[in-house]
Amino acid sequence: MIADRGGRHAVPLSALLAALPTLVGVGYAVAAATGLIGDGGRGFSLDRTAHVLAEHVVWRGLFWTLGTAAAATALATAGAVLLAVTFRGTGAADRAARALAVLPMAVPHLVAAAVFVLLLGQSGFLARALYAAGIARAPDSMPALIYDPWGTGFVLALAWKELPFLSLLAFTILATRGSQLEETARSLGAAPGEVFRRVTWPMLWRGILPGVIAVFVFIAGSYEAAVLLAPSNPLPLPLLTFERYTDPDLERRPDAFVLVLVGLAISAAAVAAHEWARSRQESFEA
Amino acid sequence: MVAGRVLRASVVLLLSGCSGETKAAVDPGTLPWDAVEAHARGTSVTWRMWRGDPSINAYVDRWVAPRLRQRYGITLHTVEGQGPEIVNQLLLEKQAGAMGSADLVWINGEAFHNLREADLLYGPWAHRLPNAAFVDSASSTIQRDFEQPTDGYESPWGAVQFALIYDSARTPHPPGTIAELAAWIRRHPGRFTHDQGFTGTTFLKVLLYALNGGVATFQGGFEPERYHRGSERVWTWLDSLRPAFWRGGAAYPPGVAELHRLFANGEVDFSMSMNQNEVVTKVRQGVLPRTARPLLIRDGTIANTHYLGVPGNAANPAGAMVVANFLLSPEAQLEKLKPEVWADGSVLATPRLPPAWAGQFRALEAASHALPLDSLTKYARPEVAPEYHERLAADWRARIRAGGS
Repeated sequence: MIADRGGRHAVPLSALLAALPTLVGVGYAVAAATGLIGDGGRGFSLDRTAHVLAEHVVWRGLFWTLGTAAAATALATAGAVLLAVTFRGTGAADRAARALAVLPMAVPHLVAAAVFVLLLGQSGFLARALYAAGIARAPDSMPALIYDPWGTGFVLALAWKELPFLSLLAFTILATRGSQLEETARSLGAAPGEVFRRVTWPMLWRGILPGVIAVFVFIAGSYEAAVLLAPSNPLPLPLLTFERYTDPDLERRPDAFVLVLVGLAISAAAVAAHEWARSRQESFEA
Repeated sequence: MVAGRVLRASVVLLLSGCSGETKAAVDPGTLPWDAVEAHARGTSVTWRMWRGDPSINAYVDRWVAPRLRQRYGITLHTVEGQGPEIVNQLLLEKQAGAMGSADLVWINGEAFHNLREADLLYGPWAHRLPNAAFVDSASSTIQRDFEQPTDGYESPWGAVQFALIYDSARTPHPPGTIAELAAWIRRHPGRFTHDQGFTGTTFLKVLLYALNGGVATFQGGFEPERYHRGSERVWTWLDSLRPAFWRGGAAYPPGVAELHRLFANGEVDFSMSMNQNEVVTKVRQGVLPRTARPLLIRDGTIANTHYLGVPGNAANPAGAMVVANFLLSPEAQLEKLKPEVWADGSVLATPRLPPAWAGQFRALEAASHALPLDSLTKYARPEVAPEYHERLAADWRARIRAGGS
């Protein structure tokens, strides 16, 4: 009886404990954003919140961050699915390809961003190679791929960096759950394209979706790649947040916490989207 | 308000839980120097400082730290953190009523201003250091930090002067004034920019002085009206030249390190530095081309001093004072001045030093300065009230950076 009662209470309690650091952080951010606490705080007020949310640079930064995070996540996901489907065999070549695909996971994000600076800068390896081949004439005849408003270098660097993680998930899903369902479909007369569309893809997508959400949220909050590769206009949300947090004018401190809460809203929305997608799948399965 | 109080209390609990037990605090300000040193022996000092330059880190970790251990039995710990981060940390610790996580902080300008405003610095103590007797007390840029009297709440550590950096092989006849620079930028589109950080803002301040009849216009505290009129000229200057800036003025390198990289790789023809001698050190390290040279703008370039402060909640102010005193010694200042070490300017007045030391300073200054001392002094202009720096940085972001697409 006691064990039973303890068990029933243990679930919400452990969930609460796990969420506690986040809740304290959110509570502090709300208090600091509304002037209840911290520097520049003059008692409860939504002035700074209203001011920040009315700023053009904030919305431009927010949309830039959402757009580039979505693009990088989509690229990495497409790459991971492609790799998983192409190299799913048990032969040595396929195994080697899978190992190679996962290898860059060991590269720290900061190093990956620095590599892309050296690779894609207007005086980088790519520009030098094009120059040597006689295609480019001067540094500025090479298109800007870093600090560019579209975030080309940022998107490519993060897509490359997240590809191994999503590939690993995709490899595992196909290896553990793949063949049987597909063979059944084939024996029932499905064409190869149909097998992929109706069996392989839904299975892969369902399995890697949590990973895809995690990657999107991570990229949207990524600071180190942004500081090395992103443009100054629009200024990505994480850079804008840190800039306000370290502004010498203490009156701007609450701004940083408003922006932290905007970032948190992105994560919460992504997780909610995932929950919604999963519940829809479950209702199909039931 | 209740919610605020509850939150504040919980933050206090969280932070004080981590700070450990508090030592019985002794105010070293009341002790004779021998007793301060005795008190510091066997302690450890935590120094929060900018750790972004390998030459500075090497000087502190491999030259300063071993000597502190040998001579004073002090263990030095360095932790990362500059200007606003130090202010944030100390404000948070004050809210939480926690014991300080740093004994010594590397600060100047607006950080000193904010820390003094919030009463977060220990002091006065700097005048009590025995080596303070050697400090160049006639220099207004040492005694006043962005126009604020230091009042013994920070001890000078190094003196620097803003300079542009150019490549004498690429640009044999560099511009010497702001007007010549403007003409040069127009003739060479895409070859000039500045960074978004502290050095870039200092360049804006050089423009502010030059376009408004010199530093005198802005001396004597912050005046919004003078700032408004003066800064308009800066924005007009930048707006008219923006199309000829690197990337058409639509993008700016995040910090001065990225600007150095653009300059070294030939994407732009100028870099800049808050230390006129940095170019010598960076050439030795192979970061900048061998033909890179510093360039003083004859309209006047900004000279300032950086300092060491002791937080009011420091656990070991006596140890921090001993470290600050050692860093102010002729020996430590001379080592720091060497171009192969850091090339950071001395804050000591050479004539006040014992003759043996004075000779070594003169020899090093004659041999290693990238620029002759007399021209450095001739074009040096002091900092003005920190609000000018803050407003220039904020308004540049809003008016120039955000409007550039």
